[in-house]
Amino acid sequence: MNKTIIININSIVFHIEEDAYEVLRSYMIEIKRHFSQSDDSGEILQDIENRIAEMFMERIQAGKKEVISMLDVNEVIGQMGRVRDFEQVDEMKDEPYVDESKEDYKRVISERKLMRNPDDKVIAGVCSGLGYYFGMQAKWIRVLFILFFLFGGSGVLLYVILWIVMPEAITRADRMSMRGEEPNLQNFKKNFEEELEGYKDDFSAVRGHLSNGGKAVGKGISTFFQILGKGFAFLMLVFCGMVIIGMLITFVGFATGILGYQDEMVFPGLRLLSTGQAFIALLAGVMAITIPFIALLHIFLRMLLKTRSMNTYLSLSLWAGWIVSIILIIFYSFVGIQEYKESSTIKVEKVLEKQNVYHFEEKDIRVIEAAALDNGDKKYTMKVNKKELSRYLRNEINIRFEYIDSLDIPYIQYNYFAKGRTYQSASECASHIDYLAKQDKGKIVFDSHFALTTEEPYRDEAVSVVVFLPEGAKVTIDRTIRSKMWNLPYSDCKKEYGKDETIKYTEWVMRRSGLQCAPLHIEKAKKKEKKVKDATISEDESSN
Amino acid sequence: MIAENTQIQMRKGILEYCILSIISRGEIYASDIIAELKKAELLVVEGTLYPLLTRLKNNGLLSYSWQESTSGPPRKYYQITEEGTEVLRKLDVTWKELVYAVEISLTGNKK
Repeated sequence: MNKTIIININSIVFHIEEDAYEVLRSYMIEIKRHFSQSDDSGEILQDIENRIAEMFMERIQAGKKEVISMLDVNEVIGQMGRVRDFEQVDEMKDEPYVDESKEDYKRVISERKLMRNPDDKVIAGVCSGLGYYFGMQAKWIRVLFILFFLFGGSGVLLYVILWIVMPEAITRADRMSMRGEEPNLQNFKKNFEEELEGYKDDFSAVRGHLSNGGKAVGKGISTFFQILGKGFAFLMLVFCGMVIIGMLITFVGFATGILGYQDEMVFPGLRLLSTGQAFIALLAGVMAITIPFIALLHIFLRMLLKTRSMNTYLSLSLWAGWIVSIILIIFYSFVGIQEYKESSTIKVEKVLEKQNVYHFEEKDIRVIEAAALDNGDKKYTMKVNKKELSRYLRNEINIRFEYIDSLDIPYIQYNYFAKGRTYQSASECASHIDYLAKQDKGKIVFDSHFALTTEEPYRDEAVSVVVFLPEGAKVTIDRTIRSKMWNLPYSDCKKEYGKDETIKYTEWVMRRSGLQCAPLHIEKAKKKEKKVKDATISEDESSN
Repeated sequence: MIAENTQIQMRKGILEYCILSIISRGEIYASDIIAELKKAELLVVEGTLYPLLTRLKNNGLLSYSWQESTSGPPRKYYQITEEGTEVLRKLDVTWKELVYAVEISLTGNKK
C-alpha cells in the first residue's frame, strides 16, 4: 500500500506515489536551477514539463494503470537526462573557448560551494573541501586542524561538526561547484569516465524496484541528517553570534579598563604592558578568538541561507588578520614574561614611639576629605600623599606582627616588592612604592592603598609590613584594618565580645608565641578572680 | 584537454547541422528528433535537445506549431524557416568542403 499524491503538470492531473513524487520534485528543482541562468529558461522548462507529462500519459495508457510509480519516474528521468548530461550540450552555446582568463577566475570564486571532497581525503574530505572553499591548499588546512587539535582538541569537535554539516560532493557537477569551476568545456571533460559511471547509475536505477526501496530508505536517512545538520547549523549560528557579541563587549570593557576609565575589569595579563601595548595585545587577543567565529558564522549562515561565498579579499584579509593577531599574542606574551623575570624587595625599617597601647587602624585614602576645599581650589584636588591620584592604586598589602624582647624598641619593617625585566628595573619599581604608616601617639594609621608613583605598568608590586612589638605590649586592632591582617584570627577574637556588632576594635597582647586575643573585660574578670582568691588566702592566714 | 575541447567544438557544429537537416525533411516532434540523434549517437538524453531547439528557434532558423496529440498535451512540431533553409544550404556547402578537406588531409595528395 502506498500513499499517492495528485500533481498537475501542464493542466494534466496525475496520481503519483509519494516517493516517486519526491524524486520527480527534486529532479525538477535541479533542472530549474540548471536552466535558471539561461534567458530561455521559461520556454525550455515548459517544453521539458510538457514532454514529461506526455511520457507519463503514455505510460498510464500503455500499462492501463492509474498511478505513476517510482519506476516510471526513473525511466522518464533516464530518458530526459540528468543535469550533468545537459552540461555537455550547454557548453555548446555561443561561449567561445577561453583560456583560464581573469574574468573566468572571478566568476569561479563567487560560485564556490562548501562540500566534502571524496577525491582527496584523509578522513572524510573536510579539509580539502575547505581548501577549495577558501582557495588554499588542503595541506595548510590540515596543518591548521592539527594545530587546533593540539590546542585542547578543539579541532576534533570542529572536524566532526563540519563532517556532519558539509555535504559530500558526489556528482561531477557538485565537485565542479566545490572547486568553484564553471561547468564549462575544459572542466567538463575532466572526468569522462565518471560520466560513464553516471550512465550506469541511471541504468541500474531503471533496473529494479528493490534497489529503489533501499534508495528511499537511504534518502530518508540523509534527509534526517540534513534536518539534523540544519538544526545544528542554526544552533551553532546562534552560538557564534553570541560569542562574537560577547567578545565585542569584552573588548569594550577591557579597553576602557586599559585606558583607565574603570578599574574593575582589567584582564590581569594586560596589566604588565604599557597602555599602548596592552591595547594592541587586547585587540589581537579579541581578534584571534573572534575571527574563527566570524568564519564559522559565515559558513553556517551560508549553509542555512545559501548566500554567496565570501569575497576573496575579505576572506584573505580575515586570514591575514587572524595570523597577525596570533603572532602579536605570542610576541606580547613573550614581552610580558620578560617583564616578570626578576624580582626585588626593598626593606625599610621605621622606629615606633613606645606606647602603653598600640592602636592600629586603616584610612581609606579613596575618600577625599572636604578639607581639601580649604586651599581655595574650586575642585577637589585629586591627590593622594601629594601625588596625582591615578589608576595605580593598589591594595596588595599584608600586615603581620612579630615578637621582640620586652626591652627592645618597637619598630615597623616595610618590604616593598616588585618584579621587572632586570633586577634593576624590579628594584626601581619597588622603590616607587610609597607606603608608610603614620603614628600619632598610640594611634598607628595605615593607608588602605599604596599609590604607584610612575606611569609604568603594573609589575606585581606588593607591600608586606611586619610590626615588631615587645613582649607584653597591648594592641587594639580596628575592624577597618582586619583585611590586611588576614593571618590573625580576628573573627575568633571578635566572638569573645559576644554578638555586639558595635564593637569597633579587638584587644590583643603580644606574647612570645605571637599576638594573642585578650579582650579587656575577660582580662578584668580574670584579675578579679585572682584578687578574690588572694583575699581568701590572706583571710585564711589571718584567721590562723 | 585540447583534444577534448576540439572534439566538443566539432560536435557542436555538427549537432546543429544535423538537427537542422532532420527538421528540414519535414515537420517533426522533439522526441522524434531525439530518436534519430540517438541512432546517430550524437545525443543520448532528451533534456539536452530543448535548449538547442529553443535557441535555434529564437535565432529564427526554426518555427513550431502546436498540434493536438492523442496521448497527452498538445505537442510542439518544429519546422524549418526560410532563413533556416538558407543557413542549411550554406552549411551543406561547408560540410561538403569539410568532408573534402578532411579526406584530403587524411589520405594525403593521392589522386
